[in-house]
Parts: sequence; structure tokens; C-alpha cells
Amino acid sequence: MTQEPTKAYINLYAIFRDLEDLCELDEDMKALIKDLDMTIKFIVKNGPKGFLSFKNGKCTFCKNLDKSNITLYFKSPSHFNNMIDGKANPIPLKGLSKISFLKNEFITLTDKLTYYLKPTPSLLENSTYLRINTILTAYTAFFALAQVGNTDPIGKLNAERIPDGIINVSITESNTAIHLIVKDGHLEAKKGLSPNHRASMTFTDIATTNKILTGAIDTYSCIATQKLEMKGYIPMLDNMNKLLGLVSSYLQ
Amino acid sequence: MQTYTYNKNQELFKKALKLIPTGVYGHLGPAEGCFIPVCSYPFFASRAKGSYFWDVDGNRFIDYMCAYGPNVLGYNDDDVDNAVAEQMKLCNCTTAPSSIMIDFAELLVDTVDMADWAFFAKNGGDVTSFALMVAKAATGRKKTILINGGYHGVAPWTQKLGHPGICQEDVINNIYVDWNNYEQVEKIVKENPNDIACFMATPYHHPVFTDSELPSKDYWQKIRKLCTDYGIVLAIDDVRCGFRLDMKGSDHYFGFKADLMCFCKALGNGYNFSALCGTDALKDAVSSVMYTGSYWLSAIPFAAGIACINKMKKLKAPKLMQDKGKKLTAGLVKIAKSYGFNLKVSGVPSMWYMRITNDDSLTLHQEWISECVRRGAFFANHHNLFINCSLSDDDIKLTHEIAADSFRAVKNNHKEL
Repeated sequence: MTQEPTKAYINLYAIFRDLEDLCELDEDMKALIKDLDMTIKFIVKNGPKGFLSFKNGKCTFCKNLDKSNITLYFKSPSHFNNMIDGKANPIPLKGLSKISFLKNEFITLTDKLTYYLKPTPSLLENSTYLRINTILTAYTAFFALAQVGNTDPIGKLNAERIPDGIINVSITESNTAIHLIVKDGHLEAKKGLSPNHRASMTFTDIATTNKILTGAIDTYSCIATQKLEMKGYIPMLDNMNKLLGLVSSYLQ
Repeated sequence: MQTYTYNKNQELFKKALKLIPTGVYGHLGPAEGCFIPVCSYPFFASRAKGSYFWDVDGNRFIDYMCAYGPNVLGYNDDDVDNAVAEQMKLCNCTTAPSSIMIDFAELLVDTVDMADWAFFAKNGGDVTSFALMVAKAATGRKKTILINGGYHGVAPWTQKLGHPGICQEDVINNIYVDWNNYEQVEKIVKENPNDIACFMATPYHHPVFTDSELPSKDYWQKIRKLCTDYGIVLAIDDVRCGFRLDMKGSDHYFGFKADLMCFCKALGNGYNFSALCGTDALKDAVSSVMYTGSYWLSAIPFAAGIACINKMKKLKAPKLMQDKGKKLTAGLVKIAKSYGFNLKVSGVPSMWYMRITNDDSLTLHQEWISECVRRGAFFANHHNLFINCSLSDDDIKLTHEIAADSFRAVKNNHKEL
């Protein structure tokens, strides 16, 4: 059963965070934000907060920043989740004059993100789409995994069972990589690989990654056929994979 | 030293994947079995004898996993197999059980020091689950104290909330304590004076991925007294250790007496059955619980068990296996050191755990183990290993040579060491 607060953390820290990569991977979106200089602050009462910045042709997401042009407030995690589902509007606390950005460029960005995160079989036949879909799905899944481990009641149980250390996760065929820092049951996902990892999980190619993340093939078979390689202190990966199993219920 | 190839294994595995979930599931499969890297390991055996099994590519392995324990005398032991063949001529799975069941029960009760009776099933998990039911029936209580990281099978109560397929109700009556921490147990018992039905643990702590830990001084004696004082059933899961520490039971080895003892792996040298042994005080409770299954009273395993236990007694099997284990592991540690690796060995030598401690990720250990497997010494990199009685000095010598060549290979791949 999904929890509204966890869903809100995932929506902000995993799905909105994907806009960073979307603006790198999709040429149209890269062009769209080329001249933007804008920071949006999201505040969710009893939930997450974060900043999405567009500057110098790049999109950056971070949890802490001083200034924003627009501040959007949400009364509760459910309110934020409903906004994501198109069933509610945010409460703008600052930047009313910049609302046109939200109604235009920002909507274009989020619509494109939705386009990539909600594939159809025919779209996946396009190799460029498949690549972008897979990379964004992978980032979504592993950033979401940290949120499930930190906030979902069952997820916390599995997170507490992950021994301390760093887990590297990567896709060999692309430069997609995250590392998950585990300390006393708290998880933090960061982009890139860590040289100090204690365990690693490597997806060999885009197509297999896509199938694993969408549940089209099972992880165990991929390990057996070496399309998914696991090394190092396996109890970390074992418990992380149980978290990954919970993530899918939040991303449906 | 030449390394193995696995073409036929791979070909068959692809076929298996189409027909069987994950190809080979559970601990004998590449995922749960931690085949790292997968390409270093065989998937399917074609035959086995003594200390060896051969894979479908014809590669021979000195087997230190012993089918995860059941191979205690040596694969296809002639004495056991002859006893089975004789029983086969008579009957196996019949409507009325063969009287050989009584013969085996008698032998088991005569062998295991604490046993006043024996009850038979098929798997270790059958008897650990039954032990809890017996404890609950006997005490009218519902909670069980278990050790963090302990393993008692795959029934829902043995797993954790958050694992696929497990719900809160499955595990709500489990209370977990740390191994060797008597004070924790005492505190829980005093906080739940009329709720604890059972304390269950393995005779010593042998979790996967982690060093084995023997009981601290007086640990079991204190637990025994606490259980007696508070009317708690003390159940020992001797499924893995049984007959590799002591023919009289691992509780006897550590100087205490359990109320219930679960046996399985080494009972019949590969013929499958399990046994719950207990004291007279629990006999009525056992009788009151409905517990049975297809094949549970089949005759062949009892014939195997009689031959197996008698032969183990004759060979003084626990000492024999501990001596072989000591010789093997002492050599491995020495060879490791000569290549700059610190190989730590823990647990009882007949079923030791080892790991290279030069890094905390087990990566070097996984690399070394994979090199050993590719040269014909089958170890697991995450689990305790097993000795069987047929292991020869020549096998140990060859294993040491394989280990040395494998350390050399790992060293060559890690110039930084």
C-alpha cells in the first residue's frame, strides 16, 4: 500500500529531479531552457521541499538553496501529489508575475517528462526514445528507492537491514550511474559512481535495464545470464533490491 | 593451471530459463548461490562420487559445499546406497509405513543424547516449523525468541517483514535478539513472562556473509536455566551442524540439553528426510499437533539413515571431519598469507566460514573463490563450507595447489596489493 508522504518525496526528489537529465538528453528541452534564469521553490507541509533551477542552459535540482523566483506551497503531501496528477493547483507564495513560466515552459517540460516516463510499445521501438526512457526510468527508480527506504514504513525495515556503505549502480552502455550512501538505515542517492563503494550493481545494456525496470524480465534471470552483475557485499544489494521491489508500486 | 569452460552448462541453463523460474532457483542457483562472476561457476551436475561432482561439461570439482550439507560420508556412498537398494527390493512409499521407521527411530534415540523420541518429515524447515508448533502446543503461548541473522528455513515465520510474500501476521510473534547476548534474552523473558513459548537458535551462530561465532562461556547453560525457570521450550536447530560437531547432538557438544532438536542435512547422506527429536515431557504435545506430508514416512530414507548413522559412528565422523577441516583451513590460511592475503577462518572446522579480510566488500574474496572454482575446488563465497568424510589428503593437497594458483591470479589482477 502506498503512502502519500512517500509518494510526495518521490514526486519531488525522483520525478521532478529527472528534469535535470531530461534537459540534457532531449535536444528540444535543452533548447527550451537555453536562456532561462529561474528557480522554483517547492514547499510541501509535512513533506519534502526542494529547488528546481534553470540557469546557463542547465537544469539543476537541489534540496537546499537560498533564493527562488517562484515559491509554490502545498498544504499536504496529498495536495502535492494531486497537483502532479493534475487534480489540484499549488498555492503560489512568491513570483506571481512569473506564473506564465509555469503555464508555458514548465508545463512543456513536465509534459515531455511524462512522455518519456510513460512509454508505449511502439515508442520503445525507437532506439533514441528507448535510451532516454531507460535512463530517466533508472534515475527515477533509484532516487525513488532512497525515498521509499527513508519514509515508507515497510521500506524503512528493508533500509535498516542494508549494512552501512556505498552501493554503485550503473548502466554500462550509457554513462548513467548513481551511488547510494547508506548510513544507519538512512539512504541518500547521488549521481555518478563512488570510488569507495562496498557493493556494485551493473546493468550491461539499455535494453536489459529497460526490461528489468519495467518488470518484463526478472532480476534473477538477468543475474544468471550476466546481464546484471552484482559484486561486493551482497547483503547490501539483497536488501536494496527488496526496496526496489516496493518502488514499482509507487511509480505505477 | 588450466581453468574450466562451461559451454554445455550455459546451453542447458538457457533451456532451463525458458522452463523453470530463474533457471535454477534457491541456493543452488546463481543468484541466491552468489555465483560471482556467474561465468566462473557450473550450473548443472552430471554425476558425483566421494568428494567430487562433475558438471555437464565434464569438469571435476572437489566439493566443499557438499550439497549444502547432505553429503557427509561422500557422494554415492556404497554402504548407504546398498542399504537403499535392499530396501527398494522390499518397499518404499506404502500405505502402511515400513517397520524400518522404528529401527531408525531407535537408532536415532540411542545416538542423540537428549532424544527420547523422534518424529520424521522431509526438510529442515518442516521440523523447525514443527518445533515451534510443539512448543506452542505444550505451553499455550505464542511468542518465539530468535537470533538476529539466524536461519531456520524459508517458511513465512522465518522471513522478515518487507520481504516479498511476507505479511505482518507471519512474523508478529517473533522477537529477535543478538547472538551471545544473554542479557537481552533475560530482559525479554522477564518482560513477557507468560508469552514466550520457545527459544530457537542454531547451536552456534553461522550466518551467511559474516564470520561464524561460537557460544561464549556459559551462554547455553544460562539460556538453558532461563528457559527451564520460565517454562520456555529450548529448541535447537541442528539442521546444518547436526553430526558435524557431535554424534550425540550439538547441544551435547556445547554441554547443555535441549528440549527439541531439529535434524536434517547429514541424516541420510543425501536421501531426503528430517527429524525432530525431543524429550519425554513434550511427547504428548507432539502427538496433539496435526502434522504430516506426502512421502514423509517413506522407507528408503530410513534405510539410508541407518547406514549413514552407523557408518558415521564407526568412522567417528565429527572428529574425522574436524581434523580434515583443520588441516585444510590451516593450509589455506598459510598460503593466503604467502601471497599477502589475510584469510580469516571461523566456526567449527568441519563446517568453517572463511573470508579474505583485505577489503570490507568481499570483492577480493569473491575473485579468489571464483578462481578456485574455475580450477576445480568448489567453494561458496558467502556461506559456511562443509567437509565430508571421504575427503582425502590428496584432495586437500590439490585444494591447496588450486588455492595458491588462484591467489596468484588474484594478485596479478591487483597490482596495488
